[in-house]
Amino acid sequence: MKLTKSFNRSLWVFHLNTGSCNGCEIEIVATITPRYDPERFGMRLVGSPKHADVLLVTGPVTKKMAAKVRRVYEQVPDPKLVMCIGTCGQSGGVFYDSYNLDGPIDQVLPVDVYVPGCPPRPEAIIFGVVKALEKLERLEAAQ
Amino acid sequence: MNGDTAKKSTPYTVPIGPVHPALKEPVMFTFQMEGEVVKSVDFAPGNTHRGIEWMGMRRNPVQIVHLTDRICGICGIVHSLSFARAVEQIAGIEVPARADYIRTILHELERMQSHILWAGVAAHELGFDSLLYLSWRVREQSMDLIENLTGNRVNYGIVQIGGVRRDISDEQRPIIEHGLSYYRGLLDQMKTVFLDDSTIRMRCRGHGLLSYRDAQLLCAIGPTARASGVAMDVRHDYPYCAYGDLDVHPVIPPQEFGGPQGDVYDRIIVRLLELAQSIDIIQQCLDNMPTGEILWEKKLPKLLLTLKKAQGEAIGRVEAPRGECMHYVRMDGNEAPATWKIKASSYSNLMSWIPMLKGEQLADVPIIVASIDPCMSCTDRVTVIRNGSAADLSKEDLTRLSRDKTRRLSQC
Amino acid sequence: MNETPHLLPQEIIDLYKAEFGAGILDARITDRGEGVRKTKGFNIWIRVERNLLKPAIKKLMDIRFPHFAVIAGNDLGDEIELLYILSVFYGTKFGEYMVTFGIRLPKTDLTVPTITDLIPGALLSEREKQEFFGITVTDIPDGRRLFLPEEFPEGVYPWRKDETGIKPEMVRELWAIDRPKDRPAPPVPEKKPVEEAPAAEGMEKKTGGAAE
Repeated sequence: MKLTKSFNRSLWVFHLNTGSCNGCEIEIVATITPRYDPERFGMRLVGSPKHADVLLVTGPVTKKMAAKVRRVYEQVPDPKLVMCIGTCGQSGGVFYDSYNLDGPIDQVLPVDVYVPGCPPRPEAIIFGVVKALEKLERLEAAQ
Repeated sequence: MNGDTAKKSTPYTVPIGPVHPALKEPVMFTFQMEGEVVKSVDFAPGNTHRGIEWMGMRRNPVQIVHLTDRICGICGIVHSLSFARAVEQIAGIEVPARADYIRTILHELERMQSHILWAGVAAHELGFDSLLYLSWRVREQSMDLIENLTGNRVNYGIVQIGGVRRDISDEQRPIIEHGLSYYRGLLDQMKTVFLDDSTIRMRCRGHGLLSYRDAQLLCAIGPTARASGVAMDVRHDYPYCAYGDLDVHPVIPPQEFGGPQGDVYDRIIVRLLELAQSIDIIQQCLDNMPTGEILWEKKLPKLLLTLKKAQGEAIGRVEAPRGECMHYVRMDGNEAPATWKIKASSYSNLMSWIPMLKGEQLADVPIIVASIDPCMSCTDRVTVIRNGSAADLSKEDLTRLSRDKTRRLSQC
Repeated sequence: MNETPHLLPQEIIDLYKAEFGAGILDARITDRGEGVRKTKGFNIWIRVERNLLKPAIKKLMDIRFPHFAVIAGNDLGDEIELLYILSVFYGTKFGEYMVTFGIRLPKTDLTVPTITDLIPGALLSEREKQEFFGITVTDIPDGRRLFLPEEFPEGVYPWRKDETGIKPEMVRELWAIDRPKDRPAPPVPEKKPVEEAPAAEGMEKKTGGAAE
């Protein structure tokens, strides 16, 4: 990944729902409200994958959504990070034996940061974003 | 983005979705448009089909209660409560009265946080982002109360077949009452901000109309139906938990606001008034809470043995924030249920989009789609096909269309 | 606005027996009371001959316009039982009844007429039954698939218990994918069988630094 200097201080986030129960969605939107306020980290939710740096993926991937998830991933410009929020995207959670799911998210996309929980608290999501920032700094230092 | 469409006479197709706003699941919409006006709409759900009912028929009821918590994250306790009530009817389990009251208190707390969540989302669709942040800031107080009582903000995990798993202690009561008085003080402010604002009235009055007859024929439920004048409320009609002891009336837009007209503005009115109603119900439950046990049977193996022998079928029905939520369960002596059918509340409300969206403009689509409260706003993708070539609109463009209309209306 | 008087559950059953006679195969009432006062809610279960389904629903609409909830289905081996769940007398304090009409269809002849001409809101439920049970709803205005993806194989009906149900090779065990091989497979024998324990064990490894 080639990184520019302006990248490693503010991350623009696009949120993608691959068929989750919406619990993680509420916690993500609760994270951007004034109580937790991640805009002090420079993080904001954008409406299009073409403007995003980080892809926040939630939910176990249903069969209908698998191809669309890949298409959205390809539209996010490099350099990019993928964060997997919630347990269902990591090991299935309560949906551990279903006929309509295409597996944990890392079978479909390459994931960089995992934030487990069902749903993870807003503090956990912010911690995950901080870890993502640290990872980017590590990658930049390694170049 | 704005090509010349004045000369185009045949309707053209606008697909929206499935990665898209205002939905319980990513849903694919296809609009037939003429100019800026919607002629007809078609939708295709199925993107969040996880096979829950099929998985449930392979697990025992105690495990299924944990699965039902995660059917929908916003309706936290509703599915577990319906399922537990259905199984209790089959097995003949009697729930202690104290557990009924605790279930009612959490049910109403969940309704409060869901309505405030919706109010913020509706404001966001109209272009009032500061109102989104303000209302979700206010919502945090009810999330704190829920966390104090159950241990988690979402997915409460408190319903068990035969009762509840945690009790409300004497130290927790003043905390709940403090939270309730906080909300009582805010009610007038919320009414002023949402209902007296001239821009909200201009955007919402007269749009997204659903007539009384249509609401009946299309089986609309919950605030969507009540805003059209259909007085149905499961808490009033078909008592469950502690509602048989309380006096709950379905909330219909009162005459001082012009009576029920079935538009988006009426749905805002109904939800805000239900907020006030929930505060009263919680206060009544706290005052009249009976003493006693909270679980029919504490030991899990004994409970499982009783459920294994149960036979029969039953229906469990509760009033979710979005309408009626119903579970049909049939057990025939095995550990797993033989049949389990879930009817979530948005399932019935989906059909009412079709008459609501006809004749509306593209810029009004986000707020009308969100007005039946189909759960969450995520993001969307709009592809407009004109003269055979495709141009991509992002969610920002669609929201900008919606906000530009607000600005235009507020200037004239 | 029709204001037919509020009836007791037994009176509704008597009306049906008077009109359809032997077509009513079985009728019963169940109830449930909760809370301190145990105010009761009533359910009426009526099993009818399959060709009497639409007349029965029409009669309910004459009593008072019902609210249609959902169609549930049971796989009984040789037959599929469809249950049309409606509720009547909503708006009356403590006076609503759930009315369920059950019909049985032999698996050799799985057709049922649509009720969307009486209640248009039943369309989604009928489409769902078509794809999950393999029944055919005649005269349905829109018979496309609702929930299942387009690539789902034809002839597989998820809710049936016979050979057309979900086959084991279609089920994907998400918790086992990429799971490290040096751990014992769940459930770990010495612990009590708690539902989420096996999945929690598997997650420990993956969380790394991004844990709560």
